[in-house]
Amino acid sequence: MNMRFSDIGEFESLCGEIRESKKNESNELCLIVSSGTCGQAKGSLAVIDALRESLKKHNLDKKVNTRITGCHGFCQVEPIVIVNPENIFYQSVKPEDAEEIVSEAIINKKVINRLLYVDPKTGKNIKYEKDIPFYQKQVRTHLASNVLIDPNKIEDYIGIGGYSAFCKTLKTMKPEEIIYEVKKSGLRGRGGAGFPAGIKWEFCRKAKGDVKYIVCNADEGDPGAYMNRSLLEGNPHSVLEGMLIGAYAIGSSEGFIYVRHEYPLAVKNVKIAITQMEDYGLLGKGILGTDFNFDIDVITGAGAFVCGEETALIASIEGKKGEPRQRPPFPAQKGIWRKPTNINNVETWANVPLIINNGAEWFSEIGTEGSKGTKIFSLVGKINNTGLVEVPMGITLREMVYDIGGGIPQSKKFKAVQTGGPSGGCIPEEFLDTPVDYESLKALGSIMGSGGMVVMDEDTCMVDTAKYFLEFLQEESCGKCLTCREGIERLLEILTGIIEGTGKEEDIELLKELGELVKDTSMCGLGQTAPNPLLSTIRYFKDEYEQHIKYKNCPAAVCKEIISSPCQHTCPIDTEVPVYISLIARGRFKEAFDIIWKDNPLPSVCARVCHHPCEFKCQSGKFGDPISIRGLKRFVTDYALREGFKPSCKTEKPKKEKVAVIGSGPAGLTASYYLARKGYTVTIFESLPVVGGALYAYIPDYRLPKKILNKDIENIRNAGVEIKTNVTVGKDILFDELRDKYDAIFIATGAHKSLKLGIPNEDAAGVLHAMDFLKDINLGKEVKIGKRVGVIGGGNAAVDAARAANRIKGCEKVFIIYRRTINEMPAIKEEVNAAIEEKIEMQLLTAPVKILTKNRKITGVECIKMKLGEMDESGRKRPIPIKGSEFVVEIDSLIVVAIGEQPDVSFLDRNKFEISKHNTIVVNHETFVTSVAGVFAGGDVVKGPNTVIEAMSSGKIAAEMIDKYLQGKPLVREYKIIRPSMYVEPVELTEEEVMEAERQAMPYLSVSKRVNNFDEVELGFTEEAAIREARRCVRCDLETEDGKKQFKEEVESGKDKT
Amino acid sequence: MESLISVESILDKWNNEDDSLISILLDIQSEYNYLPKEALVTVANRLNIPLIQVYSAATFYKVFSLKPRGKHIINVCVGTACHVRGGQRIVDEVKRRLDIDVGETTGDKLFTLETVRCLGCCALGPVVVIGNTYYSHVTQRMVGTILNKYKKSENA
Repeated sequence: MNMRFSDIGEFESLCGEIRESKKNESNELCLIVSSGTCGQAKGSLAVIDALRESLKKHNLDKKVNTRITGCHGFCQVEPIVIVNPENIFYQSVKPEDAEEIVSEAIINKKVINRLLYVDPKTGKNIKYEKDIPFYQKQVRTHLASNVLIDPNKIEDYIGIGGYSAFCKTLKTMKPEEIIYEVKKSGLRGRGGAGFPAGIKWEFCRKAKGDVKYIVCNADEGDPGAYMNRSLLEGNPHSVLEGMLIGAYAIGSSEGFIYVRHEYPLAVKNVKIAITQMEDYGLLGKGILGTDFNFDIDVITGAGAFVCGEETALIASIEGKKGEPRQRPPFPAQKGIWRKPTNINNVETWANVPLIINNGAEWFSEIGTEGSKGTKIFSLVGKINNTGLVEVPMGITLREMVYDIGGGIPQSKKFKAVQTGGPSGGCIPEEFLDTPVDYESLKALGSIMGSGGMVVMDEDTCMVDTAKYFLEFLQEESCGKCLTCREGIERLLEILTGIIEGTGKEEDIELLKELGELVKDTSMCGLGQTAPNPLLSTIRYFKDEYEQHIKYKNCPAAVCKEIISSPCQHTCPIDTEVPVYISLIARGRFKEAFDIIWKDNPLPSVCARVCHHPCEFKCQSGKFGDPISIRGLKRFVTDYALREGFKPSCKTEKPKKEKVAVIGSGPAGLTASYYLARKGYTVTIFESLPVVGGALYAYIPDYRLPKKILNKDIENIRNAGVEIKTNVTVGKDILFDELRDKYDAIFIATGAHKSLKLGIPNEDAAGVLHAMDFLKDINLGKEVKIGKRVGVIGGGNAAVDAARAANRIKGCEKVFIIYRRTINEMPAIKEEVNAAIEEKIEMQLLTAPVKILTKNRKITGVECIKMKLGEMDESGRKRPIPIKGSEFVVEIDSLIVVAIGEQPDVSFLDRNKFEISKHNTIVVNHETFVTSVAGVFAGGDVVKGPNTVIEAMSSGKIAAEMIDKYLQGKPLVREYKIIRPSMYVEPVELTEEEVMEAERQAMPYLSVSKRVNNFDEVELGFTEEAAIREARRCVRCDLETEDGKKQFKEEVESGKDKT
Repeated sequence: MESLISVESILDKWNNEDDSLISILLDIQSEYNYLPKEALVTVANRLNIPLIQVYSAATFYKVFSLKPRGKHIINVCVGTACHVRGGQRIVDEVKRRLDIDVGETTGDKLFTLETVRCLGCCALGPVVVIGNTYYSHVTQRMVGTILNKYKKSENA
């Protein structure tokens, strides 16, 4: 087309015609398809082809417009198809949906519900973009245009008002006036430094010389940031118009767009746009008949992050390696080929036409005092709604992450948000209410940067994150400055040591000192900001560094050389999970049993009741279902029981010392077992007539049959442990007597005193405490309950009590009353699901107010409905009562109250033993020794109500410490990196197995068979199912340097051919 | 020689201007899949700049390879968002399966492993690009299947 306009008036006339013709566009039939780079990566091109084919088939290709656009911003649900004129928003569209869209949505004007967005909070379908939570807090001054135009059609851009700002400047504004307007708006550079754009323009305009250059910096090197890509792909003319205006204002006749190499579609669309501008006479000599000349060149980068820095970018444009230069002189004075150069970011340029058209006041009314306007952010990482978000400056981080971002996937816990790319910092939870603007982020030790916002959760290791950024910067450092080049490398060395488990305590201070030095002495922005991620993680997550250095622990279970495999690392008793799983995969069940037993003296118990923290960190769980680790352990222990496997149990030479253990719960049993194996004479004193503590008394048979528990206990007795039942220390025997008779004591008496709820009539007849209720059932006593039973609480005790009550003859209906939502119930998920299956009614977001009685007997409980308000310190939304929503749950005779327990330490002398305000015994958290030498304590009596495996862990460690104490060795824990004791050759998976993300389903007793009995509900895997499940293990143990070597060695030596 | 003529025509396209050095090198790499030494010598001669200057640019920018690369370039994104979603494991798995390190090529010249810090498709992470094909939400397990696809079509 050759329409080169040589007159502003003529051009404006055409623009007017175009705009007029597009006025009714939103009322016409149109299919809008998002097709930026990520849309295309998800198959949008195939969708477009399918839609066009369908339209043709129905003879609608002339009647229905298809508009191919760039990114809309909601990347999570691409490809997006919007059907006009109804404006219905369809998401995650596939080519096979095309026919239905054309025939149903276009022809029959029906809404296709299955393609609508579903609000995860309400479960409802949403038809219109404006109602989708992701969009609601956004102010899309830029991104909204992406939806309205085809980036390859200049007419579309003109149709939404494009180039009217440029015409306005040519006709009515002097360069100084344009600069004044930009200054007044408060527009700050969007590339990261945030320097006021208008002031920068002024410097350049005032600089000496006739030849001036302007540059659009589209290098966008921050990983995780792609706002500029979406603007250049989706609305290149907005950026080009800004450059035109800027060139006119500054007095430049040549401009460059420097686009990074990784954005081929952006380069393509910008080049098309430039050609169209040339065709219209908007570029070249004598633009629109004036004496303004301007040309734009597109230059591609070649993969160098540092070229995002102004002076390095200039060097690159000059054809050299991107080495930054000393400033001053600043580019505004001496830039490309020593000529005055103004460099601005893509988004900065895109704001200019809007400011000219709408005025500086319009722009400065959005945002905060120091940070005006909107900003596009890329919200990525561990976030449900990944995408590009345009918001007014000043919105809080919390709103970004939760309201717009939809929170963290899999309900994991938020940990930090990283802003500003490799120059920025990590911001922890306590600062989520910080407004997003230049100054506030800087005050926290981060920066705005170009707008990348990476969300991190509990599975992200902050030490690893610091190393990640330093590795990146080491590669990208140009190498000119010693401090940057060598400094970053030294920092990386020290960090690598920490991550591999060889870190030293003084490393943290050294990192800080060296980091500050690199900041102070590097010449350019890369070096000056390189230590930021490291320093911010030390500032806010110092405990993680300490965990790595001192305890050889990576809490997020990420650092491979420290953790080996996350399951084993997370297990409080260091069970060699990948070893026994890989043995099961090869059918070597006896060996699997030996491996389990080695670290766990209560394996059949754990196989049924452990809350399996290993599964939460399982690598398979990151992209599918975690391995059913507890289920596999269950298979092995059941197999062992059937086959009569006996645990191998070598005991050391008998020692003369005697140890008393008070309490035969999991902590006491575990400690006793390991002490007996070491040759000590161990006696357990148990106050109940039965052995097992909480395992016996509180866990119902349908979860843990007594005969199974007793089998494990029998093995422990056989190791040489004497257990005396019906002996209560403090009553039948005094504590001081034990002190006289035994050389060391381990107190593991648990926490069994129920707390009062604190509501009126709690002592009425028919109100029972959960622990007493469960204990009576488990001890075989007759328990009378009524027909309708209420249980208050959401933890395991509450769910156990509810499911137990439900099984008692005469009970017809059970309610669980819990003040938060089902996702927040602390009870094990499988237990909650089973409760629902067994028709227990969940009264959620409900809190008890008072117990109603008649003749001092319970008739019901008055409750109030709750709603979720702001977040509290535990990271959960605080429930708030809804006024006037009181209602009564009719309970005819009984409420079982379960909200928490405390230990009973009345047998101890409080003058000698430090006891906390929660009645727990205070111990050294590493060695479990109390304030009295030779007396140790562990389990719930120390931690308050906790899990079985944590109790066992304290027992295991306490045994080691008691041994040290008795042998006169220093009472010090040694922390070592753990490796599995053997490596089993991995199995070769078929292609179907590779894609199998679902775990084997655990078979359960059918609900009808559970009525009125306490038969075990979980049935256990068959051999076939167990092997199939074990084969799914990704074998993280083979990924350490040791693991990699083993694998090669075993293959080479021909071992392990099973 | 056919290949050298191509370099000459690339230089002509850019008018033998030395400030277009990087664009020239990009075009050569695009044509040859890497930067042959002879090409760099030709560029230095034609642009009348020292070879060391050409070499300096060729080794500074990450895109350039001075070694011949494989038929299929496996580009694993290790940008921050993909890293947080486990991108490094994908790199490790490719390394393990092909027995090459980042920047290296398999003996049969079929695959070269490279990493890139952000393609701007963070919603799809972890992302792997091979040629023009984008693989999204890549898991450790999928790596073998993806590689086998290319191996099979090579043997076919």
